[in-house]
Amino acid sequence: MTIAAGGRITAEGAAAAPETAIAIREVSKAFPGGTVALDRVSLDIRANEFFTLLGPSGCGKTTLLRLIGGFEEASGGRIELHGQPIEGLPPHRRPVNTVFQSYALFPHLSVADNIGFALEMQGVARAERERRIADMLALVRLTGMEGRRPNQLSGGQQQRVALARALAAGPKVLLLDEPLSALDLKLRKEMQIELKRLQRETGITFVFVTHDQEEALTMSDRIAVMESGKVLQVGTPHEIYERPARRFVAGFIGETNLLTATGTGGRTLRLGGGEVAVEATVPAGTSVTIASRPERLRLAPPGEGLAGLVEDVVYFGTDTNYHVALEGGGRVAVRVQNRGQAAGRPLAGSRVGVVAEPGAWQVLLD
Amino acid sequence: MRSAARTRLAQALQLAPAILVLGLFMLGPLLLMGYVSFLEKGSYGGVKWGVHSVEAYVKFLFERDFDDSLILNPDYLRIFARSFGLAVATTVLALLIGFPVALYMAMQPERRRNLLVFLVTIPFWTNLLVRNYAWILLLRNGGLVDGVLQGAGVTEQPLGILYTNTAVAIGLVYSFLPFMVLPIYTSLEKLDFRLVEAAYDLGAGKALALRRVVIPLAKPGIAAGCILVFIPCLGAYVTPELLGGGKALLIGNLIQSQFGVARNWPFGAALAFFLLSVVLLAMTVYALRFKQRPEHGA
Repeated sequence: MTIAAGGRITAEGAAAAPETAIAIREVSKAFPGGTVALDRVSLDIRANEFFTLLGPSGCGKTTLLRLIGGFEEASGGRIELHGQPIEGLPPHRRPVNTVFQSYALFPHLSVADNIGFALEMQGVARAERERRIADMLALVRLTGMEGRRPNQLSGGQQQRVALARALAAGPKVLLLDEPLSALDLKLRKEMQIELKRLQRETGITFVFVTHDQEEALTMSDRIAVMESGKVLQVGTPHEIYERPARRFVAGFIGETNLLTATGTGGRTLRLGGGEVAVEATVPAGTSVTIASRPERLRLAPPGEGLAGLVEDVVYFGTDTNYHVALEGGGRVAVRVQNRGQAAGRPLAGSRVGVVAEPGAWQVLLD
Repeated sequence: MRSAARTRLAQALQLAPAILVLGLFMLGPLLLMGYVSFLEKGSYGGVKWGVHSVEAYVKFLFERDFDDSLILNPDYLRIFARSFGLAVATTVLALLIGFPVALYMAMQPERRRNLLVFLVTIPFWTNLLVRNYAWILLLRNGGLVDGVLQGAGVTEQPLGILYTNTAVAIGLVYSFLPFMVLPIYTSLEKLDFRLVEAAYDLGAGKALALRRVVIPLAKPGIAAGCILVFIPCLGAYVTPELLGGGKALLIGNLIQSQFGVARNWPFGAALAFFLLSVVLLAMTVYALRFKQRPEHGA
């Protein structure tokens, strides 16, 4: 199997009948000693999509990746790869390849031999192998580095070799285990763009593991947010950010205002002295958690919206965050874009109103 | 300037005891041996001081005919070849046995690893001589090994391996196995087992991952282990004497006999120097091959 140069655009593929690349059904994993890493996880990862498993360390995302890669065996459940069950297949028989967190490049082999390792294992003849190694080096922009040893490369270059090595094997699915975590910020941003480009050009399904929410939002077609061995929410970056379904998701991704409000039986909730509009109907008297993003709230003169007192003003270049203590209890952050004039802005200690855009407040499940 | 001079003095004082010991007890005797090898032998042992001769080195390869012409005498070369062969066989066997042991040890959890290292070093607590006598009891006809094999009906005749080269090889492998296991273990312990996972991931089965990743990365340890086994084996004296019964001469025993019964000190010294040069050659090859390479690891 070869890599289709300039392959399909993922969005088009998804718009047609989306084929399932990996079907994960009720998969559990318990380690000896009783730790439950995964608890009946079910997921569908579509062909040609950039799918991210996002969660804090210890949430089971890496374990799930290792189950797909064949490095661990599930305690229960089923994993299918393009319709084929893969239980019991050792890693070297699975049409998936992994980019390891620490790259795991072979220190005793040159860049070219690292990249050609899988081809050699597949018995590809030398001339053909060299041609494909050259293609891979060009793909990850490392032409001319073939003779170097991994320890003669920078972190970013090692990362590219690790990618090329995994892609050279011609996988149907590429697994990436926090591949950018060892890079500095600038390089990480570059590699994010690079990874996305590679995924588009090769048309291979990428399953990417990260604890970095920004990384997940920038690169992914879809994200699964995980916590304590469970998948909490699956959706596009937009859905995950704008419509977090659970308290954990709202809190983990981006900055979030969380408040407790009481249902009225309609699409408004009572909150201290004021009211907020939501898109769900909450039974009267029921206490629920609601969330909103700071940039979807704005400040208004006192009297409008929820009444509060500005406690703190934090300026950070593009925006300013106003931390407002609400009269009915609770605090919210309101983000205001800076457009030059500081005049007329409320100072700490001013009374203000906090007004939400329509749809800004989400009712969360705990 | 003064402080630099003081630093140098401090360094010299730090090194002085080691230099003194090495100079007095190693370099001194070595030079003496070298000198003795170029002297004429005394009639009843010892040497004739001040009477120089290269006879000892000539004797290694030639013998004198009746008319004093030299003819090639391969006897001593044969003894060297036999010792060499036995040392190679012992090293190969120790490697074949030691590598899997070291690999197993390196893959255990840390606490267990330390226990295993401790167990490997236990034989050093007992004198080599005692351990070799123990092997005599084990290997002799009617001994433990023989008794068990005959009792189980595996063999009908007595084994008869004591006082053969087989017994010597068994004894040598046993004695030097820890010297093979420990260096290999040290290099495998440092090995990142994610590299093995990476090899599996890229399509290598267990055997291929071992051959293409584990063994190449353990090479410095393998080389160190082989040297540590090969060199002492080459000059081994106790084991061939006890388990070989002194029947097949090896270098170590030959040298000993020159200083003992044969009373030819210059020849003994020359043989020892020849052995030393072989060992130095092996060490140099090892140093050139493995020490100058940049260390592994990213």
